[in-house]
Amino acid sequence: MFLMISRTFKESIASIIRNGWLSIATISILIMSLYIISIFFVSTSTANGILEEIKNKANISVYFKADVKEETILEAKGETEKMGEIKSVDYVSKDEALENFKKNNASEPIILESLKEIGENPLLASLVIKANSSTDYQKIAESIKTAEFSDDVSRVNYNKNRDLIDKLNSVIATIQRVGISLGFLFAAISLLITFNAIRITIYTHKQEIEIMRLVGASNMFIRLPFVFEGIIYGIAGSFVSMLLLFISLKFISPYITSAIPTGSLVGFYLGNFWMILLYQILLGSFFGVLGGLMAMRKYLKV
Amino acid sequence: MIKSENKKEEKNKIMIKFDSVSKTYKGDFMALEEINLNIREGEFISVVGQSGSGKSTLLRLIYAEEAATAGEVYFDGNPLSSISRRKLPFHRREIGTIFQDFKLLPKKTTYENIAYALEVSGAPDEEIAENVPQILDIVGLANKAKKYPYQLSGGEQQKVAIARALVHTPMVIVADEPTGNLDPIASLEIVKLLIRINELGTTVILASHDKDIVDKANKRVLVLERGKIIADYPKGKYKIS
Repeated sequence: MFLMISRTFKESIASIIRNGWLSIATISILIMSLYIISIFFVSTSTANGILEEIKNKANISVYFKADVKEETILEAKGETEKMGEIKSVDYVSKDEALENFKKNNASEPIILESLKEIGENPLLASLVIKANSSTDYQKIAESIKTAEFSDDVSRVNYNKNRDLIDKLNSVIATIQRVGISLGFLFAAISLLITFNAIRITIYTHKQEIEIMRLVGASNMFIRLPFVFEGIIYGIAGSFVSMLLLFISLKFISPYITSAIPTGSLVGFYLGNFWMILLYQILLGSFFGVLGGLMAMRKYLKV
Repeated sequence: MIKSENKKEEKNKIMIKFDSVSKTYKGDFMALEEINLNIREGEFISVVGQSGSGKSTLLRLIYAEEAATAGEVYFDGNPLSSISRRKLPFHRREIGTIFQDFKLLPKKTTYENIAYALEVSGAPDEEIAENVPQILDIVGLANKAKKYPYQLSGGEQQKVAIARALVHTPMVIVADEPTGNLDPIASLEIVKLLIRINELGTTVILASHDKDIVDKANKRVLVLERGKIIADYPKGKYKIS
């Protein structure tokens, strides 16, 4: 058994080298397939990451009237936490609100100047509520309106975010729908192309397979070199495709980053390097081996 | 059917037996019809006949590339129809095959082509390293071991094929038009080689429509016509009515 594996493995290496151009052509096609699938995978993942982050930033701020005492607000906080669909409720006191405001406007001396003119802190204390799902905000906003502490509330700024959240929800739904179908489409096209490339490779081996059978090679002995060939194609294709992917992400990344500051494609790539590589090798070898075995069935008369 | 009168061969066991074998291809084309034939161990038999007379089909039945439609082919006493697909490679290792188009692996050297036949049977490396040069010596190609098929002449390629067929020390050599692509001188060399192999004890079955080489062999001649045996000369010349 070991003898068979080592011999057929050597057989596959020799075949790849001696069929140089054909091997290069097959690997190139495999690289393209893997590259397209990976680009797709990376961009959907990044898009999802960005959406996740935007979703996390979405919240409802409940501002309390200036004369409401801190204890009352904390009581309201406890009450809010008891509502369903709540992820977190944070209390932002007047002073914290002022700090934040100063920080956010540090580069605007005129605003800071006018703040000093006012003399006292004009900002209101608030509760920042985050929901588990972006679809729940509407409901939470309704609950606050009918809550016991609703008399103390100065305003709820849900409406300001409402359009954004609604839009976000529809964007996510679309991306998921389109993403899944496009993903399948790309995978199917790549599979077909790779499949055919390998079938052509096998076709050139048609006579060889016939000869192998005539000198008494078992089907396993004939098949294994092609299996190894498929795996080697897969591994070689993956490495090149990883390199291409890195180069193109490096190139695209600055544009993406300038549009959406939180999405770094290169960061995602490096962070998931091994996982992407593993998937590519698995997928590439799968294409290679399956294509080879399917194409060989015809000549092995099994 | 005239039986072989050679006393010595009469004693030998029957290597291959056709028991009312017929082979029909798709479209009702009858390639072989009711063939009864015994080939004894150590025999040299030439199968002659025009193209389409069923020579190749007869040989293909022996190395089990085709299965009989009716009747049974026995090899060394075993019915071939009972061999499972998985066991088929083992049957083929008992038979050395030689063809008109040589059927060498184009991407392998002379040495590798011959070694391959041993590799597939799981022979140890030492045995391969020992046997292949020996067999190359026998066919006179020791100096061409590292050449690829395209670097060899037709006659040399056929010798490589013969060497490959022999390397298993098979019980039977089946040669289907082995000289079909060769010039007369190379043909003669090939047939001489086959005779020598036969003299060393291997059963040889030679299909040919080349009168010169069949006459040169001067052994049992089986004449096929439209899938039937019409003559079986124990020792003879190529004759077609």
